[in-house]
Amino acid sequence: MGASGAKYGINTSHFYWIGAIPAMIFVGIFMMPFYYGSKARSVPEYLRLRFDEKTRAVNAFTFAFMTVLSSGISMYAMALLIQTLGLFRGIIPDNYIFHVSVFVSAIIVLGYIFLGGLTSAIYNEVLQFFLIVAGFVPLVWIGLRNVGGWQGIKQTLPTTMTHSWRGMAHASTNTLGVEWVGLAMGLGFVLSFGYWCTDFLVIQRAMAADSETSARRVPLIAAIPKMFFPFLVILPGLIAVSVTSHIAPNPAAVVASTSASVPLVDEHPHGIIPLKTNPLNGQPVLDSNGQPVYNYDLAIPVMLLRFFPTGILGLGLTALLASFMSGMAGNVTAFNTVWTYDIYQAYINKRATDAHYLWMGRVATIGGIALSIAAAYAATNFNNIMDALQLVFSFVNAPLFATFLLGMFWKRTTGHGAFTGLVSGTFAALLHHGLTIPADLAPGIHGGWISIIHRYPSEMAQNFWTAIFAFSVNFIVTIAVSLVTKPREESELVGLVYSLTPKPVENHLEWYQKPTTLAAAVFAMLIILNLVFA
Amino acid sequence: MGLDIRIPLGLIFLIIGGIMSVYGVVTRHSAIYEKSLDVNLNLVWGALMLLFGAVMFFVGRRQKWQDDPVTPRPWERSGGTPRH
Repeated sequence: MGASGAKYGINTSHFYWIGAIPAMIFVGIFMMPFYYGSKARSVPEYLRLRFDEKTRAVNAFTFAFMTVLSSGISMYAMALLIQTLGLFRGIIPDNYIFHVSVFVSAIIVLGYIFLGGLTSAIYNEVLQFFLIVAGFVPLVWIGLRNVGGWQGIKQTLPTTMTHSWRGMAHASTNTLGVEWVGLAMGLGFVLSFGYWCTDFLVIQRAMAADSETSARRVPLIAAIPKMFFPFLVILPGLIAVSVTSHIAPNPAAVVASTSASVPLVDEHPHGIIPLKTNPLNGQPVLDSNGQPVYNYDLAIPVMLLRFFPTGILGLGLTALLASFMSGMAGNVTAFNTVWTYDIYQAYINKRATDAHYLWMGRVATIGGIALSIAAAYAATNFNNIMDALQLVFSFVNAPLFATFLLGMFWKRTTGHGAFTGLVSGTFAALLHHGLTIPADLAPGIHGGWISIIHRYPSEMAQNFWTAIFAFSVNFIVTIAVSLVTKPREESELVGLVYSLTPKPVENHLEWYQKPTTLAAAVFAMLIILNLVFA
Repeated sequence: MGLDIRIPLGLIFLIIGGIMSVYGVVTRHSAIYEKSLDVNLNLVWGALMLLFGAVMFFVGRRQKWQDDPVTPRPWERSGGTPRH
């Protein structure tokens, strides 16, 4: 995200503010009682209780596949970063550094999940979170001092990078290349609700809580740091592009024989961001117009190396690595739960002892990590495959929220309806992607592989609209099919559907302890933040 | 789940903050701080981390959560007796 901060500016905060907070409030207030109260142990299991076996199977298999791949991609990104920065140069030979990074990180994650399971994964995530904050706060502080505070950044950078809503009326006048409808509906509604309300990785933490009230508070409390996290990760990116090369000597020599001192270009400032180089021949990569391409992924590492002296530099780099590691562990624990409960117990071995399933969970941990390593190596060999997989994720995830929304709030929704809707939503996403293309890109992996009927101003706009189409198609098809199929008995749906479930009793709580109060406070803070940076 | 998260959190900050503060004191007026605009980041930030770690650690110890029986999970509670 530091990379996006450098590239798109403060607009990146939309991914946190409208792209997460409203969905987190919604899941805490409305959806958590069903997840927690239905006694399901995982999100696919909820789908089985509410709909039927086939809807669960689709969700369980795609989810298991996605978690393994995403933990593999975190692993790959971390190993690549360690290699690029040359962190262990002189200790481990350059040729082996990538392999050592992948395997050492895998063994560490395996070790603590194997010993402590979900509990230790959650403990580690908390520690990693605090380390990330401890490492990045001083970076923001020193960085802001260097560029003259927020006012200094505002003077250096174009206004579209320092105001999150300016220019949102039209795609060509803001850095994301998206107009506000696509942003609000695609990112703010479909994609963010699809992730925060249905992804088991997120829900699992709340399901581990000891009471329904605590479970509902989990996403609400988590929303508060989430709101301020942009300042930690986006600001370093913004500072990196604001810093001009004459202020301090260049200590980033380790990274960058490439960070040449180029004057600040008004349109696309790059500050101290190094050029992207081709790993094979060390030549700078040029885009189709012959302009050099900047490697925005290195924004935060370059900042650390520039501003941190020996000592705290270690803390900063630890924070950076912690941010990759935490993603891995969460994915692996979610994978082993879904594999054991929703695939192994449901389809492979239905009648085994608890001890056997516990053993299977451990094996699944090892298997999940082994598959992550395989995914990390696959990512090194085929760059395009990674893009393609991320596309598959978006096709599968985008329609999912419609299924949950209808399932939880409309008791008439049937299993056949949910299944057909989910599948046709995915196909709608595929079709939409095949028929449209972002401007200035050739047909192929980026879209337009059927024929081109519409051009989007940017890849992000295309993604958001793909999600909107997938969601709408799923929504309509689910309703249509549900109306012609036979609904389930209402008595079977108690605890699973909003209108048939008793409202949570909160009489014993003071007004300030209620989840709704917390939600209102979070929402008010969100609006204030958006107004301040509008 | 008996371990209070504040104890490991406090310890990790005490250790890292301690190392950074000591290193910061040893390297006062050193040229390495030109990078960070002449702010002795190791000392300043190390001391803050030390303080945060100490507060977490001692608050966590004082509450003695680790000695309490683990709060029963909903499925472990017998017969729906309220636990407060």
